[in-house]
Amino acid sequence: MSPIDLRLQEALDGERGPGELPADLGEAYARLISAAQLLAATPPASVAARVMAAIRQPPVPVQTEGPMRRLVRWLARPRAVTVRLRPAWTLALAVGLAAILSLPFVPGFGRTPGAAEGVANFVGHFPGARSVEVVGSFNNWSRGTLHLSDHDHDGVWRGGTVLPAGQHEYMFVVDGERWVPDPLAGRYVDDGFGAGQQNSLLIVRPVAALP
Amino acid sequence: MVNDGAPADADVVAQVLGGDGEAFGILIRRYEPGLLRFATRMLGNPDAAADAVAESLVRAYRHLAQCRDASRLRSWLYRITGNRCRSHLARRQTNDISLSDAPPPALADGSDLWAVLERNEQVALVERALAALPAEKREAFVLKHVEGMSYEEMAAVTGARIPTLKMRVHRAREALLAALEEVVR
Repeated sequence: MSPIDLRLQEALDGERGPGELPADLGEAYARLISAAQLLAATPPASVAARVMAAIRQPPVPVQTEGPMRRLVRWLARPRAVTVRLRPAWTLALAVGLAAILSLPFVPGFGRTPGAAEGVANFVGHFPGARSVEVVGSFNNWSRGTLHLSDHDHDGVWRGGTVLPAGQHEYMFVVDGERWVPDPLAGRYVDDGFGAGQQNSLLIVRPVAALP
Repeated sequence: MVNDGAPADADVVAQVLGGDGEAFGILIRRYEPGLLRFATRMLGNPDAAADAVAESLVRAYRHLAQCRDASRLRSWLYRITGNRCRSHLARRQTNDISLSDAPPPALADGSDLWAVLERNEQVALVERALAALPAEKREAFVLKHVEGMSYEEMAAVTGARIPTLKMRVHRAREALLAALEEVVR
């Protein structure tokens, strides 16, 4: 393979008219353009039906109920509580998190988990935020279904929900517009969009599998 | 890319995000042919390409709120599909693609059989030459000369810098031309 004449590259880049090329380069130009045209045939397959069928599947419902009912549920049922910690914050938040974990109230629980479900807790430190919610693969990345709370205005937002056991990707949406991964997640996966951004990864263990 | 009278991408995206999931079909119809063509040229296998495009479109739907500039939806969709193709190639642990299981294009009714066969032979020849290129150069050539993108749009799709992309396209042209001339001799 040898370098081809710069004039040919310029013509193929549209920076020079092909008519300006000498005969041999004009022939090479025509050969490459013909090759590209042969490759431009559109494959006959269509994936529209299967894509529409996939997106019509409803997301996993995330239900909400009142705090008293949640408290009763909490008292009556065994709990699987997943808490993610980042070492850098652990010292600073140790007292606060200990208090949070000891509280008999975990907002956001929708219902009692079934055998193949577990409870996921979300904790994030967003001082000054007006709202924090969680979007992820479990709610079709839709906003408005899982809000976190900061009742004591200390910048620590928390909430929880019942999710199917397994792996879920998620992100926090701060103030309705800023998408940020959970700094406490510990596990992350590429979001697949090629910009180097990552989704947080949550693994929910089924209640049935807990001791 | 919007036809006359057709809603702009940004309008359709707003419609979908507003709760009308069926409107996503408009975007599928608009971009599916190009995405399938791109994935087929990248993977060399129509079935694998269909899987990659279907997965990409479902993923795009699920994450549509993360498309920060709906007016550049085409680039975003190609970027997701390109990533899927790269993942697929990585799973195969090689950039080389096999065309042996790709069915030939169907014959059109009433067409000249010999002309069609000759064209199929030419297509197979070019596909083999393209398949021999490393994935990055193959992608650059296809985006530039098959999908007709500008270098700016290619940069948005691939995340590579424009001088890098120009170099890849130039090298791809040299390799393809050499391969095609080899056959002619």
